[in-house]
Amino acid sequence: MEQFEMLKTWAETNVESVMFYILATISIPLAYGVILDRAIIRSGFILIGVFGSICGLFLLLQAQFLALAQLMIYAVGITLVIVIALMLTNPRMERTQLSTAAPANQLGAFMVAVGLFMTIYLSVRPENWTLSSEPLDSANVEVLGRALTTDYSLPFEFASVLLLAALIGAVMLAKAEKPPKPGEDDYEYSVVDDGPTAGDARPDKEPVASGR
Amino acid sequence: MRNGAEILKLGTLTITWWCIIFGAVWIACYLVGVALPMMLSSYDSDAARMTAETLKALTPILSVLVFIPINAMFMVLIERRALAIFTVRLGPNRVGPDGYLQTAADAVKLLFKEDITPHGADAFMFTLAPIVFFAPSIFGAMPLLAAVTNYHELFQIVNLPTGIFFILAASSVPVVGIVMGGWASNNKYSLVGGLRSAAQAISYEIPLVLSLVTICLLAGSLDVVQIAKQQSGGILNWNILGGGALRGLDAALALKFSNSAPALQELSEKSFDQVLKSSYVEPTMAALGLSAGQESMAGIIAVVAVLVLIAATFIAYGLYMTGACAEINRIPFDLPEAESELVSGYNTEYSGIKFAIFFLAEFTNLFIVASIAAVMFLGGGDCPVPAWLGTMLGGPQLASVINQALTPLIQIKLVDPPTLFAAIWVILKVYSIVFFAVLIRGTLPRFRIDQLMDFGWKRLIPLSLIVFLLVVFAREFVNVHVGS
Repeated sequence: MEQFEMLKTWAETNVESVMFYILATISIPLAYGVILDRAIIRSGFILIGVFGSICGLFLLLQAQFLALAQLMIYAVGITLVIVIALMLTNPRMERTQLSTAAPANQLGAFMVAVGLFMTIYLSVRPENWTLSSEPLDSANVEVLGRALTTDYSLPFEFASVLLLAALIGAVMLAKAEKPPKPGEDDYEYSVVDDGPTAGDARPDKEPVASGR
Repeated sequence: MRNGAEILKLGTLTITWWCIIFGAVWIACYLVGVALPMMLSSYDSDAARMTAETLKALTPILSVLVFIPINAMFMVLIERRALAIFTVRLGPNRVGPDGYLQTAADAVKLLFKEDITPHGADAFMFTLAPIVFFAPSIFGAMPLLAAVTNYHELFQIVNLPTGIFFILAASSVPVVGIVMGGWASNNKYSLVGGLRSAAQAISYEIPLVLSLVTICLLAGSLDVVQIAKQQSGGILNWNILGGGALRGLDAALALKFSNSAPALQELSEKSFDQVLKSSYVEPTMAALGLSAGQESMAGIIAVVAVLVLIAATFIAYGLYMTGACAEINRIPFDLPEAESELVSGYNTEYSGIKFAIFFLAEFTNLFIVASIAAVMFLGGGDCPVPAWLGTMLGGPQLASVINQALTPLIQIKLVDPPTLFAAIWVILKVYSIVFFAVLIRGTLPRFRIDQLMDFGWKRLIPLSLIVFLLVVFAREFVNVHVGS
């Protein structure tokens, strides 16, 4: 019985920090992997692992909703990023072609990194936060939902307008079709073997919409 | 009815396999969750107590691990046999008695095949892909276990206050596995299959989630156990029929036909009309601020709102089934593995046990989406016959006879009647939906990729938004599940 009680008290005080260190030892090497891996697609998949372990950290903080949103949005979002990376690059070739950046660029990148780190550190250092030992309400999703639709409805709406603008902008960029100049092959059609009549309007050969 | 004999054989096969699957799961759960802890409780030591608690906590995981392989075998078999009937063939009927062991033989064959990694493939990613595809479907379905077993004490541990959100989050991960497998295979067909699956999953996730959000709005909860519990008491309370909008009608009918039911004592002073009035006219009048003389107008508005709710939830069910079909890559949405165009897409290069895992996950996913539909729309473990009609038809007597017959089993805790009845109804509902999916597979041809995108973005998403808005407004005039 004594042993059991001891184990119980140990678990109650320490299990959270043990879990934290496990998740941290998973997420930090994965985060390094994202920037060090030469194949861009692989970095993308490793990034999903990073977000997965951050989801675990949120669960440790009892922020269930945030953790699940993290998983749901980033798992699908990063898949999209990977798909775009696949479409824009030729990842298999790149593995051998990548070379180290010039020293001047390295210095600039280092400065940016230090600046970014300082900014984030100054904003999240513990002095600025009031800590509370109160247990979290079990219905914290409800509280979150109520806050988002009452007190914070204006920022919420602003965020959605921003996203809408980004969406419309993306559609506009993707749809921007330049009228082909006379005498110049329309690059969209040039893949198809058009023969001598290239540049003619051919309604039966419209560019196929990409699958997104 | 020339193929009546074949249909009868299909029925026997189904029932035999159900007995095998659920017998195995039931006995495994009993041994680990009840019998071993009871044996251990006779020893008074810390180690015994801890082992017993650990075993109890592991029961849900064990039940799933026992269930998934056997169930996948059964589902492949029933799919092949049913498709054979739809296309006027015989189907597999050689291995074992009448082909019962065909898929078991297939599974053994797959496990002993050589596991090939193609030249130039990314070996690590190639191995990881089936795992990423399969694992989320196991842990994502966990909260459902609590709902389908009628909140049995062994399964309470897997319930979450954000249940349905957790299920949706977990079910959005497998697409990563498909893209990963497609890219790592070093094969152009696989890559195209993976990219198609990403596009398809992202497009069809929106109507799927919106239809479930509509139901959560009517239920006022994300907790699957609570959503299943709200719908108890017959088909009129199910979410597919207005999300509780017909509860007043149910109460009134119960009063009219069996006012002797003990549960309805407090209603027995009121008449049929009064119950209807208090559950439909009064909330509408309160919502619109009407005065006492405008009751007929309030009644008309209430009826319209109820009809709108029923139509909306019915459409939401259709949207959910369509979106789910696309999410799990079933015909008519199986473009990621379209074998006539892409030689089977993302799993072209897979063989042996990795292919078996992809295969297993596909059928498990079908089962999981069917059980989500059963819990969210079709009342979970609830009997479709309304409670008052069941009382009239002698339901309680039947239940007591069954309880009497099962008494020895109940005493050794092998059977828990509420869990047993809930499980039987869930099994019937879920496999009906699975059978429907097989029927769809035998009926509809595959979409073309641009038709698929058009259908998703131009039809389903606007429709799901319209349904959502209709429900938001219509529920103001009627008492629905929320708040009860």
